[in-house]
Amino acid sequence: MMRNDPIKHVFIWPAVLVVLAISIFPLIYSLTTSFLSYRLIPPIPPRVVWLGNYATLLQEPRFWSALFTTTLIAFIAVGLQYAIGFGVALALNARVPGERLFRVALLLPMLLAPVAVALVARMMFNPTMGPLNQFLSKFGLVNLPFLTNGHWALACIIAVEVWQWTPFVILMMLAGLQTLPEDVYEAAELENASAWQQFWGITFPMMLPISAAVVFIRLIESYKIMDTVFVMTGGGPGVDTETLTLFAYQEGFKKFNLGYTSALSFLFLIAITIIGVTYLALLRPHLEKRR
Amino acid sequence: MLRRTFLMLTTSLAMACAAGQANAACSPDYTGVTLTVASQTGPYIASALKLGADEWAKKTCGKVNVVEFPWSELYPKIATSLTASDATFDLVSFAPAWLPDFVPYLSEMPKEMQSGKDWDDIEPAYRERLMVWEGKIYSQSMDGDVHTYTYRTDLFSDPKEKDAFKAKYGYDLAPPKTWKQYLDIAEFFQRPDKGLWGTAEAFRRGGQQFWFFFSHAAAYANNPNYPGAMFFDPETMDAQINNPGWVKGLEEYIRASKLGPPNALNFSFGEVNAAVAGGQVAESIGWGDTGVIAADPKQSKISGKVGSAMLPGSDEIWNAKTKKWDKFPSVIPGPFMAFGGWQIAVPKAGKNQKAAWDFVKTLTSPEVSGQAAITGGSGVNPYRKSHTANLQLWSKIFSPEEAKEYLGAQSDSINAKNVALDMRLPGYFSYTEVVEIELGKALAGQTTPQAALDAMAKEWNRLTDEFGRAKQLAAYRAAMGLPPKN
Repeated sequence: MMRNDPIKHVFIWPAVLVVLAISIFPLIYSLTTSFLSYRLIPPIPPRVVWLGNYATLLQEPRFWSALFTTTLIAFIAVGLQYAIGFGVALALNARVPGERLFRVALLLPMLLAPVAVALVARMMFNPTMGPLNQFLSKFGLVNLPFLTNGHWALACIIAVEVWQWTPFVILMMLAGLQTLPEDVYEAAELENASAWQQFWGITFPMMLPISAAVVFIRLIESYKIMDTVFVMTGGGPGVDTETLTLFAYQEGFKKFNLGYTSALSFLFLIAITIIGVTYLALLRPHLEKRR
Repeated sequence: MLRRTFLMLTTSLAMACAAGQANAACSPDYTGVTLTVASQTGPYIASALKLGADEWAKKTCGKVNVVEFPWSELYPKIATSLTASDATFDLVSFAPAWLPDFVPYLSEMPKEMQSGKDWDDIEPAYRERLMVWEGKIYSQSMDGDVHTYTYRTDLFSDPKEKDAFKAKYGYDLAPPKTWKQYLDIAEFFQRPDKGLWGTAEAFRRGGQQFWFFFSHAAAYANNPNYPGAMFFDPETMDAQINNPGWVKGLEEYIRASKLGPPNALNFSFGEVNAAVAGGQVAESIGWGDTGVIAADPKQSKISGKVGSAMLPGSDEIWNAKTKKWDKFPSVIPGPFMAFGGWQIAVPKAGKNQKAAWDFVKTLTSPEVSGQAAITGGSGVNPYRKSHTANLQLWSKIFSPEEAKEYLGAQSDSINAKNVALDMRLPGYFSYTEVVEIELGKALAGQTTPQAALDAMAKEWNRLTDEFGRAKQLAAYRAAMGLPPKN
């Protein structure tokens, strides 16, 4: 087949059309909708408002509150997941007795559906019937307003996120640890390097690329948090625990405000892109040093 | 040959008889027809639909498939299906408040169903108001909903409690006539050390919370001198939710939240019922389910000790026209038709409309609905005259005194002169969402009642402008039973 053989179009165009149909066109449709004032209920004929939806959103305190809440949950939860996950992975890598059992047991939370986890958590944190407050009551302590106070509710959501997704970090970090070369540690032993020195001088730097990837994946995933919040608090009290996805859900599927929701989705996309690009830019010098 | 012919004739005759009997058993015959009904997750309402489905299957040989969705998901699911004009559901069960949003996609009730004994048996509040939209009937009530008051008769009749209450508050302990009395009673019985709290109401966002708040406000904002002005001014469509009547209602609602069990802020109506049936609280407000569940010995610790009454009222009601408090010679009870009772309708896109309306007829017949009304957990409360008139029907679950109070409270509330109708407007969820958000903030003490209500009013006015003020005003007046504005 020659380079300019027209037959190449027969092979290329179906693939191009499939890509356009399943990813580009919906995106373009959504972008177009974001420039419209378009409600299904009550039915209002679409009207072009150009950047009106974006301007309204940027002036909407609820949008900024949702962005702040999502960022808070994502950064604190992922930070804790990474710290705990790395620590547990190190312990498991040290081949402690019963390591296989621990490995399977610690991975279980990740296998559960987030909705089920959130339902269990809602019961656990129930102010009167939940075991946590019953436990506190036995020591004469007051019932804590786990899900009815904004700060406590946020803490509970973060705790559930950490509980459920730390196993993912453990899994990835353990896989990374098992690929590290033994000879480097043997050399360090000969130099009488302490365990702490070995960690900061060898393990942590060598694990940096995989750490960067794990944190990046978890950060992006955490920004998409929806089911846990929906079940545990519904975004309340007030809008204290409302995340961007929940806000979009309320606008899109409760109020059927399609234009506004599309604009919100694109702002969400922009926010995640900025965070992702900043994160990678900050890490680049450290990662390049490792090459 | 003759013998064979005789045998064939006999067999044919027997088969014809059998077929005739089968057809007679299925009247009308809907063999092979399967209806799909959208419902909220059971047992509330879904179990009543299943009860109706069994009866309809016996009668017509058709089948009914009840598809259940959690309460918070029901509106989006129905709305998506209706706006897409697909035939996913042959019937939809929903809140009357959603009717304005759904009307363009619903079929009108057949005229033959709009007359007769069963039709006249439906309470006028439903038949003439909640089932009507712009003069037409698109849905049928399958449940009656009005908030009433429930209390523990054992506590209220205890001489020691009565004496102590009178000594402290200066009047007799009895079902409250005003909301101040309601709060006094709650305060009096607030005894956490004994596992007893004052009252239980729903306070959780997404947990039917705002209807409880509306019940408080109805007493001060639903003025008989200016009818239909509880939520909006029916002349201008300006939001009224931040007027002094509503402020008073919210202040008392917040006060009630502090006189409930420690987790009260997380209560939805289900938890309210559990608290009442568990004997945790002395009094409560809510739908009729509370009384039925509390009376059921299988579900309740206070069975046989359940009293009912109308919601408290007020002798001072804010007048949205004069912008002053109107003083009345006596307390005017403030019943509120919270939610307004589940309704069922047939989408235009449905493929089995005739069968679907026939199912509605069976489901809402006095016999089937009467059975559902006395079944705890069915979610069906009285909406027919026969439901409240038939004391015998209720003797299965209530003592005669309990039945008398319960049915009296239901009937008096629905038929009260100043009964407040729930808000029904296109874009209902957009209006109530901001109420839920701001209520959450006010209950958590993050904002003052006035500031929370001002925020609601601002958003309501913005939404009204966005949806079209004239259109919304016409819809609001229709919902409140007012004539169109010239």
